Amino acid sequence: MTDPRLQKLAQVLVNYCLELKPGQQVRIEAAALAEPLIREAYREALKVGAHPSVRASIGGLTPIFFELANEAQLKFTPEIELFAIEKLDARLVIWADWNTRELTNADPKKMAMAQGARKQLFKRFMERTAKGEMRWVGTLFPNHASAQDAEMSLEEYENFVFGAMLVDRPDPVAEWRRISKEQERQAQVLNQVKTIRMQTRDTDLTFRCAGRKWINCDGQQNFPDGEIFVCPIEDTVEGNIRFSFPGIYMGKEVDDIRLRFVKGEVVEAHAAKAEDFLLSVLDTDPGARFVGEISFGTNYGIQRFTKNTLFDEKIGGTMHLALGASLKESGGVNESAVHWDIVCDFRSAGEVHADGKLILKDGKLLI
Amino acid sequence: MTDPRLARMARTIIDYSLALKPGDLLRIEASALAQPLVAAAFADATRAGANVLFRISLDGISESLLRLASDEQLAYVSESERVETETVTARLAIGGGWNNRSLSGISPDRLAIQRKARAAIGERMMQRRLKGELRWCITQYPTQASAQDAELSLEEYENFVFGACFADRDDPVREWQKLSSMQAALVERLNRVKKLRVEAPDTELELSVQNRRWINSDGKANLPSGEVFSAPVEDSVNGRIRFEFPAVYSGRMVTGIRLEFKDGRVLAAQAESGEDLLKAMIATDAGAARLGEVAFGTNPGIQRFTQNILFDEKIGGTMHFALGNGYPECGGSNKSAIHWDLIKDLRAEGRVFADGELTYERGRFK
Repeated sequence: MTDPRLQKLAQVLVNYCLELKPGQQVRIEAAALAEPLIREAYREALKVGAHPSVRASIGGLTPIFFELANEAQLKFTPEIELFAIEKLDARLVIWADWNTRELTNADPKKMAMAQGARKQLFKRFMERTAKGEMRWVGTLFPNHASAQDAEMSLEEYENFVFGAMLVDRPDPVAEWRRISKEQERQAQVLNQVKTIRMQTRDTDLTFRCAGRKWINCDGQQNFPDGEIFVCPIEDTVEGNIRFSFPGIYMGKEVDDIRLRFVKGEVVEAHAAKAEDFLLSVLDTDPGARFVGEISFGTNYGIQRFTKNTLFDEKIGGTMHLALGASLKESGGVNESAVHWDIVCDFRSAGEVHADGKLILKDGKLLI
Repeated sequence: MTDPRLARMARTIIDYSLALKPGDLLRIEASALAQPLVAAAFADATRAGANVLFRISLDGISESLLRLASDEQLAYVSESERVETETVTARLAIGGGWNNRSLSGISPDRLAIQRKARAAIGERMMQRRLKGELRWCITQYPTQASAQDAELSLEEYENFVFGACFADRDDPVREWQKLSSMQAALVERLNRVKKLRVEAPDTELELSVQNRRWINSDGKANLPSGEVFSAPVEDSVNGRIRFEFPAVYSGRMVTGIRLEFKDGRVLAAQAESGEDLLKAMIATDAGAARLGEVAFGTNPGIQRFTQNILFDEKIGGTMHFALGNGYPECGGSNKSAIHWDLIKDLRAEGRVFADGELTYERGRFK
C-alpha cells in the first residue's frame, strides 16, 4: 500500500498548490525515482478533470551530456520546449535524485553555457507565472540521496519531509491556509518599509525595497513553503555577506561563500571550496552578479540544514539571498539564466532593521 | 561495468539504423527500466552531434489513464505533441516494460478511443517517413516481463535479444551490412516474380505479387530485423493456410489459426482458442479481411517464438502474412485500422513456388 502521507501530499499539490481545474494541461516533471508520488499526483489530476502528462527523467544522462556535448549541443533548446511553455496551464516539478553530486566534476563553463541557452525558456516561464497565466509548484519526493545529504536514514528523512509539509496532520490544507493568513499580515507590514539592514557574523548588508512588493510564500510555488521575500531595488544592495550554509547549485556544493556588493553588483566573491565554480556562475550573464531576491525563512517546523534549498531557505530564523533572475510579482527587473538561493543563519547573533527599527532578533520575527 | 553488448547495440542503432548526423533531433521513447540502453544510445547520439529529447514512461501511468480518464481526457492529444511530431527528425522507440499484460483488464472500447485519437499522429509520422523527413528505429530492451513471455530466464533472454541484433559479434554493423546485401539479391529476384504458391501441411495458398515491390528490411526501422516483405495484389489470394504460431493482440492470444481465402477475402476463419477475437479482428473493417503484407523472415539468429512480433516475424525460415493495412511503398492499396501479422513456420515442412519454380524449401531459399 502507498504511504497515506503520499496520497495526502498529492491531494495538497493538485487541489491547494496548483488548484487544478477541468481541462487544464498540467505537466508532471520528475525523476523516475519519484514514481510513487508521480502516480498519486497523476491520479489526482485526472480526478479533477485535468489533462496530466508526465515528463520523467532517468539517472545518469546529465553527466553524459556535459562530458560529450559540443557547443552547438550545449546551446540547443528544442523549439518544442518553447512551444510547450506557452501552452501549459501548470507544472508540477518533483525533485528526487539518485545522486545529488553527480555533476561535481562537470565542467562549470559547459554548465553555464547550457544554463545560458535556457534563458529564454526560463524567462517566459517566469513571465507567465508572474502574470498568473501558468501555475507551478516544486516539491520533493524523499529519497536516499537527499537523506544522505541530510545525514539521516530514509525513514527519518521521510518523517522530516512530510513533517515540514504538514501532510502528517489530518487536514494539511487547513494548516496551510492558517499559515498563509499570518504571513500575509507580515508581508503587509513589510510593504511599508523603505530600507532593510541585515547584520550577523561578517555580514552587514543594506538594500532599498521601497515600492517593491513583499510576497507571502504559502505553498503556491514551493512545497513545503514558509518564506516572505522581496526583490531589492537592483542597484541599491551594498555591503558584505558571509553565508553560514554552503551554497548548492546544479549539484555542486560551494562552501563558505563571501560576497561584497557595490551598487547592487557583486564586486568580490570568495569561497573556501569550489570558488572557480562560484565565479563561473557569476559570469553566466550580467544579471548573475545582481540580487534577484532577499527573503525571510518562516517555517519553524524546519530546524536543521539538510543541504537542500527547498527546505534550507525556509528554515525559520534564516534569511536567503538569490543571485540572478528576480521575480516579477515582487516588481523585480533583473534578468538572468541564474537563480541561486544561498542561505544565511540569523538564529544566533542576527539582527535585521527596517528603516532603523529592529524587526528580527536572533531568528525571531518581531512583526 | 555495462554489458559490452549493450554498448554495441547502441552504436548499431545510432550509426547504422538511424545514421544520425549533426543537427538531427532525436526522440528516445523508452520505459525507465531501459535506462542502461537509453544512456548508451544518448552518449552515441551526442557523439554523433545530434540533439536528444527523452520521453520516458513509468509503471502504472497508462493504466491510470485508461482506468480513470473521461472519454474526453482519454482522447486528448496536446498541441505540443502534434508540433513535436512535425519537428523530430529521428525516433528511437525502445520496447520493454514491467508487465506485458498490465492492460489486459482494460475494455477494448477504451483502447479503441485512445487508438482513434492518436491515429492522426501515427499517420503524420508515416507521411514524414515516406518523404524522408523522419527516420525511426524500433528495438527492444531485455526485461523480465519479456523474458517471461519468451519462457526464458533474464540472462537467456538477453542472449537471445543481443544475438538477434548481432550485438554479440565484434562488428554488428558489418553483420547487418552482410545481411542487407544478401537480402538485396533476394529482393531483386522476388521483384521479377508474378505468382507465389505456398505448400505445407494444411496449406495451399496462391497469391499474386505482380508489379509489387519487395522491401529489404535490414536492421534500420526495426532492430533486429531480417525480413523481405511486399503487399499481395489485393484480390489475388486464394486457398487455405494454417499458422503454427499463436497470434497476439493487446495481450490476448489466438492459437491454431486456419484461414481460407477466395479472391482475396477471408471466406472462413477458425482457431483452436480465441476464435472470437480472430473473428472480431477480421470484422474490424472491409480491409481487415484481406492481406496487406506477405513476407519472408530471414534472421538466422532468431529461432524461437517469444510472443513479441518484433522478433517473431523475423524468425529465419518462416513467412508471415498480415491481415489489414498494406504498405504503400510496396504498391499495396489495402486500407484498414488493423495490421495483424500471422506467422507460418516452414522450417520442418514447406515449399514455396515462384511462377511454378521451386524457390524455397524447409525454410531456405534455393
